[in-house]
Amino acid sequence: MVPSHPGASAGTTIRFRHLVGNRELKLFDKNYTNRFGESFIVTKFKYYISGLSVTDAGGRTIRLKDSCYLVDEQDSLSKIIQLPACGRPQSISFFIGIDSAKNTDGVQTGSLDPANGMFWTWNSGYIFVRLEGQSNVSPAPAHIFGWDIGGFRYNENALRKITLTVNKYEAFAGNTIVIDADILTCFDGVHPLQISGSPVCHQPGKLAMQLADNCSTMFSVAP
Amino acid sequence: MKILTIIIIFLFFIAGVAWIDAGNKPRPLQFVVPPGWPQPRYNFKNNPLTAEGFDLGRKLFYDERLSKDSTISCASCHQQFGAFATYDHSFSHGYNNTLTTRNAPSLQNLAWQKEFMWDGGIAHLDLQPLAPITASNEMGETIQNVLRKLNLDTAYKRMFKAAFGTTLINTQKMSKALSQFVLMLVSSNSKYDKVMRGEISFSAAEKLGYEIFKQKCTHCHTEPLFTDLSYRNTGLQADTTLNDYGRMKITGSNHDSLKFKVPSLRNVALTSPYGHDGRFFSLQNVYEHYRNKMVMTKNTDSLLLHKIPLSNYETMQLTSFLRTLTDTSFVKNPAFAPPGYRVTPVFIHY
Repeated sequence: MVPSHPGASAGTTIRFRHLVGNRELKLFDKNYTNRFGESFIVTKFKYYISGLSVTDAGGRTIRLKDSCYLVDEQDSLSKIIQLPACGRPQSISFFIGIDSAKNTDGVQTGSLDPANGMFWTWNSGYIFVRLEGQSNVSPAPAHIFGWDIGGFRYNENALRKITLTVNKYEAFAGNTIVIDADILTCFDGVHPLQISGSPVCHQPGKLAMQLADNCSTMFSVAP
Repeated sequence: MKILTIIIIFLFFIAGVAWIDAGNKPRPLQFVVPPGWPQPRYNFKNNPLTAEGFDLGRKLFYDERLSKDSTISCASCHQQFGAFATYDHSFSHGYNNTLTTRNAPSLQNLAWQKEFMWDGGIAHLDLQPLAPITASNEMGETIQNVLRKLNLDTAYKRMFKAAFGTTLINTQKMSKALSQFVLMLVSSNSKYDKVMRGEISFSAAEKLGYEIFKQKCTHCHTEPLFTDLSYRNTGLQADTTLNDYGRMKITGSNHDSLKFKVPSLRNVALTSPYGHDGRFFSLQNVYEHYRNKMVMTKNTDSLLLHKIPLSNYETMQLTSFLRTLTDTSFVKNPAFAPPGYRVTPVFIHY
């Protein structure tokens, strides 16, 4: 499940870098604090990227329509996506999540294999983002917090589109664009969601959609 | 002479290779839509039925290794003699002394369904097996572990190769094989069907029952599937231990509170108890609910606002008719029995 395209080595590389504020994310062994003053550790951080497209300076757009990538903090290779050769990228857009067609058209393979554990079986559909950890302020059992964010049905859609502008010349050094994903925005990017108030999200619905809104603000092109 | 011999040997070699090649091709299996039935909802183009795929699906369906401790197969709760529901059980037995929280539905005519489970939470037939395999109160296993066990078994390797042309065993291929087996579980040969085909006739009681059925039941239990596959609130109150509000859990909408899928009445005489939580132990209990015990709420189905008036006499006729929906050729079809058996052997009964 290495998300790369064979023969595309000459192209641009996108690398995801996971941050907590201005520090790089380390699973398990660091205490972080969100803007509500809640300290927490992160034990799992995974999400799906799909519908990736890149527009270069010449206005040409490359769409990787059917590609879905499972980006996993625990798997450094999963954070690297090779794009086919193109000019200097000006903007990058992608979805965080999986569209409804792939949620309803039987069992998928590769990064979308339900065996990867990013799938709800009882209310079938992909988990778009999993952010799990522990926090002393969490009232959930063992003080865990677990945010499984997904939902594709009417009124439950947690799919979010992200468009990023690559305006810094240096950003393209070595044909690599680094996209930062800051976990802190998951708590307050749009809606203020405290661990103490919403420690658990395990189903589609309002909380999942609010969390999806928040997560959709976590990406930026690294300077 | 020598050249001729070489040519002949060569020709035999070619013929042999061609023969082996032909032998490796899975044999297409025809899915027959019974006359007068609607077109199936399942997309067979993405999963063409073959004899090899069906055999593999049947083996998986009856294989207890799909559960965590190798005690529960799909067939443990979907028993052929019970029209592939759990015979005489409100809830089915899960891993490690657990119980399910809903009555196992009969598996029949699944090709015509688009959504599965009592609440319609599962959006494709191929996705369905993942739920019972991973549920802690059913088979309690992980998909990865199931795939690992299948990959260690050379018989499965051979069967996956025969069905799909590759020894690669993944979630998709396993699900497709299971779908191939359950898609073939078509029940369309009951006495009712024979009467509709003009082969035989109803008895007087059955005929009267059919008239009552067409007046009072058919709006939801629509022929020929005997369900319109909609979700309805039929005036059931939630059990205080289960707190199961049905479809609302899936849509998140208050309007769907206590709505459950209309079950098919085909083979209904074999699938007691009834209701999403198996609370009705007999058809008589079901009639009693509809004529007396319904609890009206704002979500109760508009067709049931006056309940369903049924006299004792009518319930007897209705029962006579409902018994004509029993399809013996379906529940005794040796093709659906465990591999190597013509009927389900006693040791598979739970």
